[in-house]
Amino acid sequence: GIVLGADTRATEGPIVADKNCEKIHYITDNIRCCGAGTAADTEYTTALVSSNMELHALSTGRTPRVVTAMTMLKQMLFRYQGHIGAALVLAGVDATGPHLFTIHPHGSTDKLPYVTMGSGSLAAMARDDALALVKAAISAGIFNDLGSGSNVDACIITADHTEMLRNVEMPNVRVQKERTYTFRKGTTAWTKESVRNLVVSEQVTPVGDAMDTT
Amino acid sequence: MESSYRIVPANANKSASVQDTANSLGLHDTLRYGPRSLAAEVQTESNLRNRLENWEATQDNTRLTLQRSTYGLHAPMRLLMERKIVTQGTNPFTAAMSPSNLHLDILMGRDNALEPADVFLGMESGPSLDIHEELRKRNM
Repeated sequence: GIVLGADTRATEGPIVADKNCEKIHYITDNIRCCGAGTAADTEYTTALVSSNMELHALSTGRTPRVVTAMTMLKQMLFRYQGHIGAALVLAGVDATGPHLFTIHPHGSTDKLPYVTMGSGSLAAMARDDALALVKAAISAGIFNDLGSGSNVDACIITADHTEMLRNVEMPNVRVQKERTYTFRKGTTAWTKESVRNLVVSEQVTPVGDAMDTT
Repeated sequence: MESSYRIVPANANKSASVQDTANSLGLHDTLRYGPRSLAAEVQTESNLRNRLENWEATQDNTRLTLQRSTYGLHAPMRLLMERKIVTQGTNPFTAAMSPSNLHLDILMGRDNALEPADVFLGMESGPSLDIHEELRKRNM
């Protein structure tokens, strides 16, 4: 099987745009893709490839293979000469076994036993050991890198089952505020109070002549 | 079909011409197509647009050339004949009436794939109501 992990921070320059975004994208039931780089590019590219993989699977009548998705992605990214900023880690288990690929924005791919991408970290390898390793690796990225943060997502893909663990670890929960900051009623005085009555009167005015039935 | 094994479209020799936006007076038709500066186009445009526009055509050409060298001259000819049959020249209004040709999609191998063009709005400006213009462009 394969374990994928990702953090959940989306940044816009120095600002955190989304504290809990989903970086593990769905390609097919047995294939998932982690995306680093420009969020819009990764989301759109993975959505397009997911649709094409489904059509392809219906056309061939077989469960889709990871290399098919990899080929579709690399050919598309090469065509755009790197202007699509999507660095992807594609992983899945198909009829030929578990596979893990990285795809860089210009279209080059690598096949590796374990790999990291972006400023976060993703890995593959026994299940709980692998999950613990992935969580430790992503946590290292979350705490030591400004571009990663918030929570850890993980996805465990095996030959017959895919398990998506959203927010499997949340090491950055905001502390409860020490005081309540709401204003009690009566803090400020008011000079005028008017309640608008929403029930309005109705008046029917016939327009023109009565119905002409000649 | 040119006999070429190119996988990637060639970097186009940059040329800009008024011909594609000219009106009957021979000059760029600003009222219809908007402002245009040939000098700016030649200097600033990158190869990406040309590459993306010619991608499918170049790949298809490579496939046909490989088939010509593998199976003989008849192979690409038959395929091109089938495509021509399917986009019969008897109907010059197909672009206006229905831009999707299922038979052509099957022959070109696009019947089980989606492109961004299928997802986003297809036609930039609805069906052109000027049939004379369409016929003139086709005959040019």
